[in-house]
Amino acid sequence: MAYFIELFISGALTGLMYALVALGFVLIYKSAGVPNLAQGALVMTAGYAVWMVMSWGLNVWIAIPLAAAIMFGFGLVVERLLLRRMVGQPVIMVVMLTLGLEILLRGLVPGILGSTPKPIDLGIGFAPIIIGDVFINRTSLYGGIVALALVGASLLFFRTRLGTKLRAVSDDHVSSWAVGISVERAIGISWGLAGIAAVVAGALWGSSQGVDWTLSTLLFPAVAVVILGGVDSVPGVIVGGILVGVLGTVIPGYLDSIAGGSTRDVVTSLIILLTIMVRPFGIFGREDIERI
Amino acid sequence: MPALILENVEVIYDKVFLAIKGVSLEVGEGEMVALLGSNGAGKSTTLKSVSGLLGPERGLVTRGEIRWGDRSILPLGAPERVAGGLVHVLEGRRIFGHLTPDENLIAAYRGRSMARFNELREQVYAYFPRLKERIKSKAGYLSGGEQQMLAIGRALMTEPRLIMLDEPSLGLSPLLVQEIFGIIGTINAEQGMSVLLVEQNAAATLDIVSRAYLIEQGQVVMSGSAETLKSNPDVQDFYLGGAGHTDYRNVKHYRRRKRWLA
Repeated sequence: MAYFIELFISGALTGLMYALVALGFVLIYKSAGVPNLAQGALVMTAGYAVWMVMSWGLNVWIAIPLAAAIMFGFGLVVERLLLRRMVGQPVIMVVMLTLGLEILLRGLVPGILGSTPKPIDLGIGFAPIIIGDVFINRTSLYGGIVALALVGASLLFFRTRLGTKLRAVSDDHVSSWAVGISVERAIGISWGLAGIAAVVAGALWGSSQGVDWTLSTLLFPAVAVVILGGVDSVPGVIVGGILVGVLGTVIPGYLDSIAGGSTRDVVTSLIILLTIMVRPFGIFGREDIERI
Repeated sequence: MPALILENVEVIYDKVFLAIKGVSLEVGEGEMVALLGSNGAGKSTTLKSVSGLLGPERGLVTRGEIRWGDRSILPLGAPERVAGGLVHVLEGRRIFGHLTPDENLIAAYRGRSMARFNELREQVYAYFPRLKERIKSKAGYLSGGEQQMLAIGRALMTEPRLIMLDEPSLGLSPLLVQEIFGIIGTINAEQGMSVLLVEQNAAATLDIVSRAYLIEQGQVVMSGSAETLKSNPDVQDFYLGGAGHTDYRNVKHYRRRKRWLA
């Protein structure tokens, strides 16, 4: 039983860490209306950014805001150079563009900054928290708390005036222009915000497993999280994250020894498939309103 | 002094399709002007050339000049034109369906002052009291008429000097059309806001505007005061339902007579 509880808690916390990655996806979808398949590489790049700033000899609590500023700027540049050309084009063009960006960054960033795993020390420490028979990973615990806080902040953000304008843009680009909202700037801001979320995710994931290209493979569980939770739902990343995390930890916890490992990816894939078949817009995703 | 002037505006879509071929028109300050015409005549294209919304459809103003006040607006992007006081209520309403009516208004408000926002919002709800009853529901679930009201209200939040309305009567019952046209007239009269109204519903439109342009196949073929157009026998036959005396033996004359410009 203690084994199950430990798997469950560790899964839930890992899931919240996935939610951190997924949040960037949702931020962009909810405010620009485009799917962002580059979020994995964005998290990886953000991890590198944190490591880079720290390697200048700066304290981690200065390095993270600085990296956030860098990644916000990076998001703006991505919009200016790439996405602005996609205005008025079919969504599939944006999907392919962001996928291309993902692949480019996966190669380019480790190529420039070095592909050996880089450590990020957040000062959390590796000693687990022990409650009874259950061991809890400290990084995951703090990561989970940060994820909840960021999701809360995002919820509040979308209620502000800027947030409302961004939601309007995701609804209808042309009518946003028609009432004077700069769609280009809105998309830029949404990528910038996703960059900031990526810094938090990159720092936490980087501290638990080191920064290298494998951080970008977090895209896969993150996509599962957003599909399950709903691509435009901020609370959805928490629920989706916990579900993906728990299922993806508990089931392999029992099956890996029988199947010989790697059942986590199978579980994640099944979650994506089943969600799309049963509830294509996810648990909290919005259905498109169609009046007859 | 006329506020909005189009001179020989030509728009080409996708570098091949010539949608309007030298449209010239004027909307004076505080004036209410209609642009009439049938499907595909170039009415919406004309409005989009003024509001700067041709880009997403790969359209381009290739010739001519559009002036607003004393400056050319062609180099400006859509948001700058809205900031300058031009607003376009799109055909088919295009409200933000997943936002509430209130959030639709918030999204369109450009200024900083909260007091001014509340003032404008109250004004919109005073024009369209029905919207206030539906304040909590998502705008996508409003009725067609309510959505049209919201689309107009949302445009008013930008504090325009000229409002361009693209077929506000589309898909609405005659009674609602009357109501909405009445409110447009009120806004025009109370605030001195210029109105450029694009319509297919010529009968209802000519009753409320002072002047009108008739556009066919991308060209303005007739213009004048609403009275002049209403009494023109061709307009009566082709746009006003023949005033009840269509002689079907002469229907063939349609083709011959429907040529005003060579």
